[in-house]
Amino acid sequence: MMPFELAEPASLKEAVGLLDADDPTVRPLGGGTALMLMMKSGLFAPRTLVSLQRVEDDCRRISASDDGELTVGALSPLRALEQSPDVPAVVRKTMKTLSNVRVRNVATIGGSLAHGDPHMDLPPVMIALGASVTLMGPDGERVVALEDLYEGYYETSLAANELIVSLSVPLQNSIRAAYQKVTTRAADDWPALGVAVSLTGEGDAIGNATVVVSAATEKPIRLAGAESALSGANLSDDVLRRAGDAAADEAELITDPQGSAAYKRELLRVTVGRAVRAALDGEAG
Amino acid sequence: MASQTTIIGQSVPRLESRDKVTGRAEYIHTMQLPGMLHAKVFRSDVPHGRIISIDTAEAAAVPGVFGVYTGEDIKKVIPEPYYGPAFHDQPILALDKVRHVGEPVAVVLAEDPHVAEEAAQLIYAEYEELPAVYDEIEALDSEAIVHEELKPAGTFPDLKHLAGRRDTNIALDYHLRRGDTEAAFAEAAHVFEHTFRTQQTMHTPLEPMVTLAEQREGRLILHSSSQSPSFVRIEISRLLGLPENKVRVRVPFLGGGFGAKVYIKTEALAAAMALLSNRPVKYAQTMEEQFYTITKHPCTFRIKSGVSEDGKILARECEVWWNGGAYADIGPRVTQKSGFTAAGPYDIENVTIDSYALYTNRPPAGALRGFGIPQLVWAYEGHTDLIAKELGLDPLAFRRQNILKNGRPQAVGTELVDTEIDGVLEELGRRMNWSTSLDKGEGSIRRGRGIGVGFKASISPTTSVAIVNVNADGSVVVHCSTTDMGQGSDTVMAQIAAEVLDVQIETVIVVHPDTDVTPYDMSTLGSRSTYHMGHAVRIAATKARDKLAEMADELGLPEGHNVPVNELFIRKFGMQAGNVVGSGYYKPQYAPTDHDTGQSPNATPYWMIGACGVEVSVDTETGHVTIDRMVNVADLGTALNPEIVATQLSGAAVMQLGFTMTEDMVYDAGQVTNANLADYKIPGFFDIPFDMENAVIEAEQKSGPFGAKGVGESGTFGVSPAIASAVEDAVGVRITDMPLTPEKVFRALREVAGQPLQEA
Repeated sequence: MMPFELAEPASLKEAVGLLDADDPTVRPLGGGTALMLMMKSGLFAPRTLVSLQRVEDDCRRISASDDGELTVGALSPLRALEQSPDVPAVVRKTMKTLSNVRVRNVATIGGSLAHGDPHMDLPPVMIALGASVTLMGPDGERVVALEDLYEGYYETSLAANELIVSLSVPLQNSIRAAYQKVTTRAADDWPALGVAVSLTGEGDAIGNATVVVSAATEKPIRLAGAESALSGANLSDDVLRRAGDAAADEAELITDPQGSAAYKRELLRVTVGRAVRAALDGEAG
Repeated sequence: MASQTTIIGQSVPRLESRDKVTGRAEYIHTMQLPGMLHAKVFRSDVPHGRIISIDTAEAAAVPGVFGVYTGEDIKKVIPEPYYGPAFHDQPILALDKVRHVGEPVAVVLAEDPHVAEEAAQLIYAEYEELPAVYDEIEALDSEAIVHEELKPAGTFPDLKHLAGRRDTNIALDYHLRRGDTEAAFAEAAHVFEHTFRTQQTMHTPLEPMVTLAEQREGRLILHSSSQSPSFVRIEISRLLGLPENKVRVRVPFLGGGFGAKVYIKTEALAAAMALLSNRPVKYAQTMEEQFYTITKHPCTFRIKSGVSEDGKILARECEVWWNGGAYADIGPRVTQKSGFTAAGPYDIENVTIDSYALYTNRPPAGALRGFGIPQLVWAYEGHTDLIAKELGLDPLAFRRQNILKNGRPQAVGTELVDTEIDGVLEELGRRMNWSTSLDKGEGSIRRGRGIGVGFKASISPTTSVAIVNVNADGSVVVHCSTTDMGQGSDTVMAQIAAEVLDVQIETVIVVHPDTDVTPYDMSTLGSRSTYHMGHAVRIAATKARDKLAEMADELGLPEGHNVPVNELFIRKFGMQAGNVVGSGYYKPQYAPTDHDTGQSPNATPYWMIGACGVEVSVDTETGHVTIDRMVNVADLGTALNPEIVATQLSGAAVMQLGFTMTEDMVYDAGQVTNANLADYKIPGFFDIPFDMENAVIEAEQKSGPFGAKGVGESGTFGVSPAIASAVEDAVGVRITDMPLTPEKVFRALREVAGQPLQEA
C-alpha cells in the first residue's frame, strides 16, 4: 500500500466537489470496512480518499416523519440501524447477522448501499421494503429507487462523483417482512443466497408480495414470477412450492466459491417459502 | 495418582494470562530494531517452470528500496542454500526452477514495508513452463517430475537409501508387513474395500510466521516465531558453516503454531537477508503468504478388510498416498511415523501397509496437529462404520469386538502399555448414551449420531534437555526450549518444577527459548513436550533438590531439617549469594522400524488416544449439517493441569471440525484461489457445537512424568469420521472426501434419491 492523499471535507457538497467522475483512483471513504480490505489486498490503490467522517451531522441522523417515512443519513453506522426503535424489525434483525459488531460500529449505510457487492445484506432487505436513495452530484440531488441503483456485479448507477445523501424507507405499518441469509462455508460468512420478502395482508392471506434475491445473483433483484405466485394467495405448502419454483425458474444464478448455480437454485427454491413463513410468523415489519 | 496436596493435577491458572489479556506479552511481529529493514517476497505465479530471467531493475529503482535479491545473490553468503528436516530440497529463494505457485523467487528490502511491498510488484520473472502435477495419485507416474533427484538430509538413517534416486515423485515409501494378509483375505467371509480422501488445509495461526534477523557481536541472532528453536540453530549453523554458538535463536510467545512453525520457515530467508544487507531484517508474513508456506497433507487412502462371519477383522490392507507438495518438509516422517498406524486401533493379525510421500506442484505440506493421523482416522473409522452397516452390526459393538487392548501388539509390532483404547471407547459410549436410541427427527430435519476413535504414537526417538536453577532466595528459574504457543507449557513445566522442589508455583519462572541460555529440545510438536520436556524438567529439578540436600548435609543439618532454602544459601555463602543448578535430559528408548517389514519392538514411548462422538441434524432440503452435540474423550495418562487439558481437547476438536466442515484450499491451475480468511473459512463461534463435553479417562502412563503423556492432538482424531457417520445415520449418505460442505451433502442426497443435481 503506497501513500495517498486523504481529504476530509466538512460537507457533502464539498466532498462531491473533490470527487472526479473520470478518475477511479479518487474515492469516497465512509467506514472503510470494505475499501481497506481492497487496499490491503492490492485490489485498489487510491490517489485520493475523500473521507466523509467530518461532513455535517445531518448525515448521521435517523428520523421518522409524521407520515411514517424513515430517513437514514448515509453516514449512520449500521449499528445505529440495529439499535434504532424507529427502524423496521426485519432490518434490526438482519443487522445482527451482518458481519460483526466491530464492523457494524464503523461501516456506514451509504457505503453499504453504494458498494454494489451482491453479497451485502442491506440492499435486498431495503429493496423489499420499497426504499429509495437520495443522491448528490455536482448538478444537485436526485432520488432513485434502490432497486434501480444496482446495475450489475459491483456496478451501480451512482456516478464516480455522486454520493448517497440518505436512504428513505416508506411506512411499514401493515407490512410483514423477513430476510433469509443462507451461508454455505461457515455460519459466519458472506451469504451464498439472500432472500428478502415483504408481504401485505393479514393472517394467512397474502396481499402484495415483494420478493428479492441477492448474493447468488449479479445484483439484488426482484423476482416477478415468485411475487405473482404469492400475491393474492392464501398461505399453503402448494403456494410456497409454486413461488419457490417460479423463483428458481426465473433467477439468473452464478457459480462462485460459495456454491454452484445448480445448488443455489435448489437453495432458492426452498428459501423463498421459508422467508414467507418467517415473515408471517414474525412480528410486523 | 498425585495426592490432593500437590500442585500436580491442579488447574493452576496460566502464568501468562494476565500479560496476554493486557497486551504485554512479547511477540516478534511487534518487535522493532534500529535500522531495521522489511523483507517483502516476490513469488512465483507458475506451478512448475525453469527460471529464464528475473528482472529486478524497476523494483530496485523505487525510491526507498534498499536492495533486491534473488536466489543467485543468496549463494554469495550461503553457497548451498537448500534446507529441510528430512530432505535438503528447499532453496531459500528459487534456484533454476520454481515448483509451486507462491514459491519465493526474489526479495525486496526497504525501511518502509509498504515501499518494499510496492516494489516487489515491479519484479518480472520469465519462466519456461514445465508440466505440473497436483494430485498425489497422478504424481505416482506423471510426466511432471518435481525434483529430478532426491536429496535426503542424512539426519534420519532410514532415508539414506534414497540418496541419488532420480526421476520419481515418491520421496519416501514405507511398508509394513505383519502376518499373511493374502491368506487371511482368502479365508474371510466378507471383504470390504473403500477409498477415502482428504483435502488440503492450512494451520492458520493468527500470528503469521515471522523472523527478525540481526548480526551483533560477530554472531547471527534470530528472533523468531518458531516451534523449533534448537533445530533452527542447528540448521542455520549448517547452512552458514558456523559453530552452534555463533547463532542465537530466541522465541517469546507464539500466536499459535499447530505445526506450521516447526523446522525452518521464515528463518533462513531472514538470516540470508541480514547477511546480504548487513542490517537487521524482519520477514513478517501476511496471513495470505502462509497458504504458500506450509499446509496439511491431502491424502488418498485405499483400505481393504477381511472380516469373519462373526464380525472379527482378520486382515487389513492399507495403501496411503500423501500429497506433500513441492518440498518434503517433514512429510516423509508423516508417511512413516503416522503411516504405521494406518490400520487403526484394532487387533488385526494380518496387516499390510504401504505409505507413500509424494512430491507435487502444490505448496509444501508438513506437520499439522495430528501429523497425518486425522487423515488416517477419517478413512479407517469411516471404513469401520461402513463394514458395521453392511454386516448389520452396531458400530460401538463392532469396535468393541475388535479393539486393540493393553498388552497386545499394534501392527508395527510394539506392545501397548498403559494405553486404554477400550476404556476411551467405553467412556464415549456411556457419555453418548449409546444404548438409548436417538430421536431421528422428522420432516426436512433428520438427526443422526456417530463415533470415531483414533490413536497416535509419539514421534521417537527425541531428546529434551532442561536446566533448573535455584536462586539464593529460593526462587526457581526453569530453562527449557519448549515454546509456549498457547498450549500452556510454561504453566505445566512450572508445576513440575514446583512439585519436585516443593515450592509454590509463584516461586517459579520459565525462561522462554533462547539458545544462548535454554538447552536443546527437539521441538515443540507431536504432543511431546509434557512427556519429554516434563521428564527433563523433573530430572533437572530433582538434581537441584539433591544438591540442596547435599548443601544441607555439608552444613551439618540433619535429614528432615526445616531450614528454609534461603537460609541454606546464607549459611553456606555468608550472604544472599550463589545458585544451585540442576540439569537433566530425557530420551526414551526406541528401536527403529525394519526396512522390509516396518516392524519395531519399541516404536514409541507412549500412545495417545482420542475419540469423538457427535449428534447432528441434517437439513435435507439444503444439505446443511448442524452439530448439536459433541463429546471428546481422551487417554492422556494423568492430567497434570485438567483445565489446560480440557482446552487442548476442545481446541483440537474445533480445529478438526473446521477441516471437516469448512476449510479447503481451492485450486485453479495450481493457484490457490482462496488464500485469505474471507474465502478460506475457519470455524466461527456459531459453527461450534452448542453442547460440547471434553473428558479424560482415569489413566496413568507409568513411564511418564507424574503419569502424564501428550494431549495436544488427541482431540482431533475422531472428529471427522464421527461427523460423516452421524450424517449417514441421519440421512443415509456417506461422504468419503472432506470437507462435508452443504452442497456435497445435498448432491449426495439427490444421488441416492435417483435425482442427481443437473448443472444449471
